[in-house]
Amino acid sequence: MADHIGCIPELDQKKYDAREQVKIICLGDSAVGKSKLMERFLMDEFRPQQLSTYALTLYKHTANVGNKTVAVDFWDTAGQERFQSMHPSYYHKAHACIMVFDVQRKITYKNLANWYKELREYRPEIPCCVVANKIDADLKVTQRSFSFAKKQGLPFYFVSAADGTNVVKMFREMINRAVDYKQNPSDFMDEVLEELENFDLEKKEENSEAEEDELKAESPELA
Amino acid sequence: MGFQAKRCGVQFNPPSIVLVYIHTDTNKIRKRIIPIRNFFKHSDCSTAAERLKNHPRHRGYLDQVPLHQLEKLHIVLRDHMQGLSLENSLASFQLDPDEDLNKLEDEELARKKGQMDTLFERNRKRKDDPDFVYDLEVEFDKSKEEKCSWDEESDEDI
Ligand SMILES: Nc1nc2c(ncn2[C@@H]2O[C@H](COP(=O)(O)OP(=O)(O)O)[C@@H](O)[C@H]2O)c(=O)[nH]1
Ligand SMILES: [Mg+2]
Repeated sequence: MADHIGCIPELDQKKYDAREQVKIICLGDSAVGKSKLMERFLMDEFRPQQLSTYALTLYKHTANVGNKTVAVDFWDTAGQERFQSMHPSYYHKAHACIMVFDVQRKITYKNLANWYKELREYRPEIPCCVVANKIDADLKVTQRSFSFAKKQGLPFYFVSAADGTNVVKMFREMINRAVDYKQNPSDFMDEVLEELENFDLEKKEENSEAEEDELKAESPELA
Repeated sequence: MGFQAKRCGVQFNPPSIVLVYIHTDTNKIRKRIIPIRNFFKHSDCSTAAERLKNHPRHRGYLDQVPLHQLEKLHIVLRDHMQGLSLENSLASFQLDPDEDLNKLEDEELARKKGQMDTLFERNRKRKDDPDFVYDLEVEFDKSKEEKCSWDEESDEDI
């Protein structure tokens, strides 16, 4: 079951079970700057893989965490925002989530609540943060407190993809949290699903044996 | 030989892009009218803009004109070919901060992003800028923070 949720033929999401692989997803309205933030963080490494059938863009990155090398896949949407909702495969096996809004557009801040709700339906416990982008447009916003993050107990960053303020800091911290989470997962969603799957199989085998017994038992009576 | 671009615009008949520039050798202001050929009402504006920017006869003059601006001018030309009024065409570039951009089709969304690009490019720090810092960190003083009006009680849904 777990794997049919994550089914994208071009992408084997099982790889995210490997110890040195993490998946980080970006959420937020159209045009808040999700892709520009990725570009700013990755700079020369910037080589996105477009999966247009799934309205999805993937960015690969290699990070050093402690003394380990970790392969990070960033998942960015390429138009799925239009449906105000993401396909379940987007959330599947994600280890962290970066939620972005545009400080110039209130509606993108208000919509965070919807994105967050959907995220928590699929991934109740993964680390998540709130990113206020485009502060270069109006530095005064950094004097204001945006209560959504505080209410949800999420880290909050003022950033600008244009001039680079706090972009790298935010990404590095989220990579660390993704790796941490992976080592000590506090939600066993995926694992539990897989165990359930095996459990179902075992039960079926028992049942079929039981049915055979019943048939044998019944046949004499029929005769 | 130097050209300093000052302004640019469009002319509908025949479809052309107009550039006002200063010839730096003579310090004289000049106008250059660049006819846009092989461009029709279903042509792709970003391809056409790129073609123009790299055109051997014009590229020297257009060096300082950003690609997205050339793209915007092509969109205005194309809108005219499709029968849209200049007013409506220009209005489509305006940003309404309350508009839900999630609902737009690709092309419309690209316009809005094109509009946002003006400020983005102006504030952008590039890798080859002398004061570029890759991992720029800025702390903002939280003690002076004021409550954000976006969090007002009236919309407590958040
Ligand atoms: N001023 C400013 N504009 C930005 C910034 N980040 C993005 N933008 C603008 O917002 C537009 C949309 O950004 P994009 O990354 O495509 O948004 P996405 O739809 O969330 O991926 C871009 O075309 C830029 O013009 C920023 O930090 N500052
Ligand atoms: Mg994007």
